[in-house]
Amino acid sequence: MISDFVKSVQQGKIDPVHHIRSALEEVKNINQQFHYCTTIPEQSALAESKEAKTGRLAGVAVSVKDCICVKDIESTAGSAILKGYHPVMDATAVQRLKDEGAIIIAKTAQDEFGFGSFAVNVGIGTEIPKNPVDPERACGGSSGGSAGLTRKVSFPHVSLAESTGGSIVCPASFCGVYGLCPTYGVVSRYGLMDYANSLDKIGPMATSVDDLKLVMDIIGHMDPRDSTCTGPQHAKVIQKPRIGLLKSSFAQGVDPKVQSAVREFVEKLKRSGFSVSEVELPLTEKYGISCYYLISMCEASTNLAKFCGMRYGAHEPLDGNFNEYFSKVRSKYFNEESKRRIIIGTFARMAGYRDAYYLKAMRVRTKIIEEYKKIFTSVDILLSPTMPILPPRFADIGNLSPLQQYMMDIMTVGPNLAGLPHLNIPAGSVEGLPVGMLLIADHYQEQTLLACAKVLE
Amino acid sequence: MMHTDVVIGLEVHVELDTMTKLFCSCPTKGSESPNTRCCDVCLGMPGSKPVLNSKALEYALRLCLALKCNVSKELVFSRKSYFYPDMAKNYQISQYELPLGAKGSLTLGAKAVNIKRVHMEEDPAALTHPSGMHTSSFVLVDYNRSGNPLVEVVTEPDLASPEEAREFMKKLITILSYLGIFDVKQGIIKADANVSIKAGNYQRVEVKNITGFKDIERALQHEVERQKREVKEGKKIMAETRSWDSDVGITRSLRLKETEEEYGYIFDPDLVLIDITPEMIAKIQSSMPELAEQRVVRYINEWKIAPIDAEVIASDKLLSDIFEHVASHVDKPYAAKWIRRELIRVLNYQGKEMPQNPIRAEELIMLITLLQQKKITENTGQKIMELLMEGPFNIVEYVRKNNLEAVSDTGVLERLCREAIAEHPAAVEDFRSGSDKSLNFLVGKVMAKSKGKASPKEVNEIIKKLVR
Repeated sequence: MISDFVKSVQQGKIDPVHHIRSALEEVKNINQQFHYCTTIPEQSALAESKEAKTGRLAGVAVSVKDCICVKDIESTAGSAILKGYHPVMDATAVQRLKDEGAIIIAKTAQDEFGFGSFAVNVGIGTEIPKNPVDPERACGGSSGGSAGLTRKVSFPHVSLAESTGGSIVCPASFCGVYGLCPTYGVVSRYGLMDYANSLDKIGPMATSVDDLKLVMDIIGHMDPRDSTCTGPQHAKVIQKPRIGLLKSSFAQGVDPKVQSAVREFVEKLKRSGFSVSEVELPLTEKYGISCYYLISMCEASTNLAKFCGMRYGAHEPLDGNFNEYFSKVRSKYFNEESKRRIIIGTFARMAGYRDAYYLKAMRVRTKIIEEYKKIFTSVDILLSPTMPILPPRFADIGNLSPLQQYMMDIMTVGPNLAGLPHLNIPAGSVEGLPVGMLLIADHYQEQTLLACAKVLE
Repeated sequence: MMHTDVVIGLEVHVELDTMTKLFCSCPTKGSESPNTRCCDVCLGMPGSKPVLNSKALEYALRLCLALKCNVSKELVFSRKSYFYPDMAKNYQISQYELPLGAKGSLTLGAKAVNIKRVHMEEDPAALTHPSGMHTSSFVLVDYNRSGNPLVEVVTEPDLASPEEAREFMKKLITILSYLGIFDVKQGIIKADANVSIKAGNYQRVEVKNITGFKDIERALQHEVERQKREVKEGKKIMAETRSWDSDVGITRSLRLKETEEEYGYIFDPDLVLIDITPEMIAKIQSSMPELAEQRVVRYINEWKIAPIDAEVIASDKLLSDIFEHVASHVDKPYAAKWIRRELIRVLNYQGKEMPQNPIRAEELIMLITLLQQKKITENTGQKIMELLMEGPFNIVEYVRKNNLEAVSDTGVLERLCREAIAEHPAAVEDFRSGSDKSLNFLVGKVMAKSKGKASPKEVNEIIKKLVR
């Protein structure tokens, strides 16, 4: 547990410099086989470790998803188009961790700009991160590097990940670690490179509930630099939350082995005296995926416009007019999935299609939020498997169409669209492969989620 | 609506005079050295987030109220997407479906020009073409301006001539300066105009990049003439966007017209919706500065100033402000007359505008006091006014040194008049038989005797009295 480690550092029993040096060696070794890191900032980590004697994270090694800015450390959101970009500022969440004595030891691999569910849509020239349990399989995405590293390292560690449509809980599930995606707005997005601003959330990954809670307490605060940041709003922790099982997630389309692994945990909850009932979200199940992909792609296509080889990141020799130059840089350095999402997102907001796609999706989103709000009057926590399958083999992913890949997010897009806090709990394993269980609560009920997870730990 | 020969609608971009930019805390003024007033936000760095400058919203609301707009119940920003090297993010944060203000009007004499919308947006960066716009092989970008707060005022196509467009711009600038939201001396005001003519079946052409109210008339006259010429030559007017080149005095075709929808607007998800409450509006309404129209009424009703003087003075905020200062020390109608006639005369003569006016209220008070007390004649006053254009000086001292005190001693004046009457009996006879010319001749002779220090009006009366 991190708090025990920190106590030892504060009492001088552990030398943070020595600790970080060996942590870095371990990370470098792991990375050779598993490719969890885009950058390992050894020099700055060692320099920072010399000062790390105080704070709630004194001397704790922290990794940060590549799309979250760390000052002066190359941050690329996993994309070749941002190669060489060293942010001028720390993301607020990173700043808060550093202020508590955390040491940034790695930027972690991801699907480029977060566009994927398996961390296989990596940037051009980047290696695909591998599942920590079986290197033939995916570690999930898009925060795959964060999840894999969290599972693999032997030293106390937490990772700062990010979710737009499931990018925290999905890899946490495939790698068998805890991942919390907080309510939209609780953690400042300042310094987060945008995928879809109305959906993006920064959240922690860890190997224990207490570690998740500690990081949330540190990063979840109001920030004047992000207009959408609210910080944690006062919400009463529900002591014995009523559990609602999502009926459709224990049905056809979800791997029966995954279902039965999660069911075991449901039984455990029942034995602990939790009331468990079955619930349905018909609207979310029917329209969630299309609504999510329309909104996220529309927003993403505007966010990615700024990458044109002019101010930062990849450049090319100046040639032709600005249109030709921008096109050349964008064609060369964006990966295929980025291009797909730019094209679909641009299409859906253009004249003649905007009403039918973008604006309609915005209205559907409101309906989906209403559906969740209504269900939270009868239950307090929604429960389902996090992913409908076990971590897939890379060879099998190749056979999935883009649409089939998008369908993997069936459980996770709902809470992401509605901005609801949700948590992946490792729910044992099947054939040695991790299974994850998803808990979703009402807005600002992070503490209820964590308390419930603690019971199951 | 489209019954006039020329139909013009304007989109006017006004730079709001806030201390900091619209979405970050970089200063809007200061160093002119390129790229020294910018940060991660106005450079569009990955990870940066915009945060609204509430002062800019307050300023924009003032304008909405002054233009009698319906104010939106909420402030919503949208992203207007297009690729251009002056755009930090390749989208501009602007407003689309829900402009801040709509359906307003601005009165031009007897005519009301309808305002379609008033919305807020950010300024792009400035592009420099080192060897000229059309020949330079590269451009340099200066982000100092990037993110400056703008309001866009869009009129209905209600303007019927380039002259009217100029009047509109002038009136709008007056309102902006009264509202204290626009820097008349340094602020930038630019217009894009939609121009069509009857002979061209009212096919609209957009003319972009017209700076200031003087250029608007010139640019529009040129465009109207161009369209007439095209029609005359049997050509069809194309729906297109043209750019005004002020240096050459022509418009050039930029591209065939795009519609607004092709900018692929989405709501900007980085900015939260802000409620514009009735309380907010009431607060701004109650702190609204006095506007030109209100000053005119006050000048006429309370200060008994001639309507023409009141109108002219109030139409220029700087002129009106200087007048208010002067008027608190001297006779108000008299000061109004002098300032309206003489201050404007000397400025016009030197081709200057109020922002370049060097004459201070202190000198005007002294000058008008001397005039009112008849210590100097109006002739002398006019000459001093001209000299004041070169810079301030001690007027009392100057009058004394140059022996310019008016001859107001009636005894002295009567003596000079009697002398003139005695010296020119023929003229006296002519005047008796009704010749005003002869009276003027006699007055002129007395003025010469007084070396210009007598008041012609007084001399006139004395002669009349003496001759009858």
